[in-house]
Amino acid sequence: MKEGSWLVWTGIKRGIQGGIKRFAKGQFAGFISFLILWEVFHLLLNTHTVPSPLETLVYIVKVPGVLLLHCGASLLRVMAAIGISLLIGVPAGILMGVNETCKRLLSPLLYFIYPMPKIAFLPIFMLLFGLGNTSKIILMIWIIIFQMILSVRDGVEQIPPSYFKVMDSFCATAGQRYRYLILPAILPQIFSGLRISIGITLASLFFAENYAAVYGIGYYILSAWSKMDYVEMFGGILVIGLVGVLLFNLLDLLERLSVPRGTNPRKKNP
Amino acid sequence: MKKDFISMDQVSVDFDRQQVLKGVNLTLEQGISYALIGKSGSGKTTILNLVAGFLKPDEGTVSIHGVKVQRPRRETAFLFQELGLLPWQTVAEAVAMPLKLRGQKKGIDMLVAELLHKLGLEKHGNKYPQELSGGEQQRVALARTLIGEPDLILMDEPTSALDATTKEELQGLIRWEQQKRQATLLFVTHDVEEAVILGQYILILKEDGRIVQLENPYYFTENAREQLGFYEECIKLRGMIKMEKDV
Ligand SMILES: Nc1ncnc2c1ncn2[C@@H]1O[C@H](COP(=O)(O)OP(=O)(O)OP(=O)(O)O)[C@@H](O)[C@H]1O
Ligand SMILES: [Mg+2]
Repeated sequence: MKEGSWLVWTGIKRGIQGGIKRFAKGQFAGFISFLILWEVFHLLLNTHTVPSPLETLVYIVKVPGVLLLHCGASLLRVMAAIGISLLIGVPAGILMGVNETCKRLLSPLLYFIYPMPKIAFLPIFMLLFGLGNTSKIILMIWIIIFQMILSVRDGVEQIPPSYFKVMDSFCATAGQRYRYLILPAILPQIFSGLRISIGITLASLFFAENYAAVYGIGYYILSAWSKMDYVEMFGGILVIGLVGVLLFNLLDLLERLSVPRGTNPRKKNP
Repeated sequence: MKKDFISMDQVSVDFDRQQVLKGVNLTLEQGISYALIGKSGSGKTTILNLVAGFLKPDEGTVSIHGVKVQRPRRETAFLFQELGLLPWQTVAEAVAMPLKLRGQKKGIDMLVAELLHKLGLEKHGNKYPQELSGGEQQRVALARTLIGEPDLILMDEPTSALDATTKEELQGLIRWEQQKRQATLLFVTHDVEEAVILGQYILILKEDGRIVQLENPYYFTENAREQLGFYEECIKLRGMIKMEKDV
């Protein structure tokens, strides 16, 4: 009997521990701890500028259609910006990584532009590309492309010279060298570059959508702000966070599918 | 006498005004294995790079079958000391790569499976390099070198990172594969014992650029290590490497 109850007790204990572990591992934990922190602030500050999380959640659930529309518009812009940045940034980064002359010519320029506050260029883009989607997307590209190029370039430079020698010894053509060596080698860097880009572009929506926008989650937050409707504003902020979680998870999934175990930080064998 | 397969004629190489090789002459015959030994920094790796076509001599010519070596050739395979196994390729993918690079489409899987089996790697086909032991990694690199049926195999210190037992196993494999394939083997080693086990001829690169060639009396002996005189031969060679001028 004693033996039995002890077994039951350890079983329960294991179950609880496993539950906590699974909870801590899950995305949900991040969300819940964020809400708890938020609630604490709400109670401490006791001002209507910080509404309670519950109030905000209820608000989100009440207007899902509108929010979805705004999110959709923003997501399209973000995807376009990231897609174009990839199309330009990856080849440019590779070129700088493999070609010493390109690197020497372009690196100083990149280092010069990299730390500049990119948002400050917004008036120029508005002037050149109008107030529509073009200037918004170009602003976001301008914000993320330099770190994308630099991380790809660093990825190429980190390839050990012996790998290139191996490819040479098997008489690989230039195309084969990209297919078998350079692209698989920089794939993890591309993913970490994408992760950073998603974060920055979502944050920059606040600026990109603050003019001449009708739909967009950045616009939504700003207009709520100007109306001093803080529940609506925090609703928008919360939704950006949720969109971020969604995109990061999507990216993790893509990475798990496309990066082989050998170079995948997410698939280490124990 | 067989025809000369590889010949180096009055070859000199300079790196930043430092002369590394000076007027080196060397001829190698087809189907024979050669051990290249010499002091560290004497230019052994440089010779392999020249024969492989990675490096052009500043003076003189390197030719294979009478054709000047200008670039790496398909039939030459190089086993690097660093192995150069790509971390994103499984064992099977790595061994298949040379065939794929040649544009071969059919029968690759079978050839790979066969070779992996021969080298005792059949269980590891789906593993990545970091999931293998040092000796297994070395065998994978060897398989990748052999799959394309090269007529010339170059190896730079192929067993230097291995423990004694694994080393002897790999030496046996290399010896067996080279003899069976009738490929020419030119390998560099710091290990004089390895030179006597694997090299039918032993080439000693001297500092003045001369190469002293010796026939190895133990090459065709079974279990050479257990023969009387094996270690004396090694000691003699070690002395010859150290000697400045004459033999
Ligand atoms: N790329 C290079 N640039 C400048 N010097 C070099 C280069 N490669 C080799 N050397 C020099 O050439 C000399 C011979 O080098 P090599 O690598 O051929 O020697 P080695 O006989 O293989 O030596 P070890 O036994 O230590 O591997 C060395 O003094 C080395 O410093
Ligand atoms: Mg060397």
